[in-house]
Amino acid sequence: MTLKAAIKTLSTTYQSLDLVAQGCVVDAAEVDAALKAAEPDSVDVVCLQVLAKYNPYVPKPKVTEK
Amino acid sequence: MAIPNKVMTGFSASLFMQSGATPTPLTTANLSVWTAQVAGIVGTVANGTGVTGVAVNVEAVPAFGQDDAMANFTIAGSRQSDKIPTQSAPTSLTITAPWNPADASLLLIRGDAYSGVVDRTFVIAAVDGVNTVAYAFNGRVSQFQIDSQPSAEAKCVFTIHPRGNQYGWSNNT
Repeated sequence: MTLKAAIKTLSTTYQSLDLVAQGCVVDAAEVDAALKAAEPDSVDVVCLQVLAKYNPYVPKPKVTEK
Repeated sequence: MAIPNKVMTGFSASLFMQSGATPTPLTTANLSVWTAQVAGIVGTVANGTGVTGVAVNVEAVPAFGQDDAMANFTIAGSRQSDKIPTQSAPTSLTITAPWNPADASLLLIRGDAYSGVVDRTFVIAAVDGVNTVAYAFNGRVSQFQIDSQPSAEAKCVFTIHPRGNQYGWSNNT
């Protein structure tokens, strides 16, 4: 599912955001980046926060070469 | 948006609602958005009225939240049993207001109660100085009664039943 479609689904639903977000599988890195760029106090932030809850972004550990 | 870092000692709450006869309630996500959503109902000034909202003059704002729902399990051999929270219902708000047949908000509420299927966004606003913390929820009105006993001023009593999961917190700063 694209992030744009997930945000549209979440921002227009009258269902529980948690319940709907659990069914939205999106790219966690994309969610994290969008959350950092989003304007506070916007519907996008509300949707992204709940998406991030179920699509947590874990940065890849840096590998140091010996 | 950050919650104001302040304890509101004995804050007073007020009730607002969408002013349209056939309103489109805010979506679940928008119930947590102040700018252009909840602020449109409450107003950008503390205790003001937004362009899409109207204040409801009520005697008091009752408790809101969720009703207790738990299952009690007996565990053999254990001194104590176990209580597990289960699916809970939103708390219904039974509200008393002075009855005024010319009050626009009460007429809307009466119309909602007659219909029974009108979903409307209500906002409970807690105000401290110029700042507002808002609890917004969608609900339907029922049990509208007018009590006009001669011994006291006429009043109306109604109950708002919040829709499940449709609530959100927001604030102006």
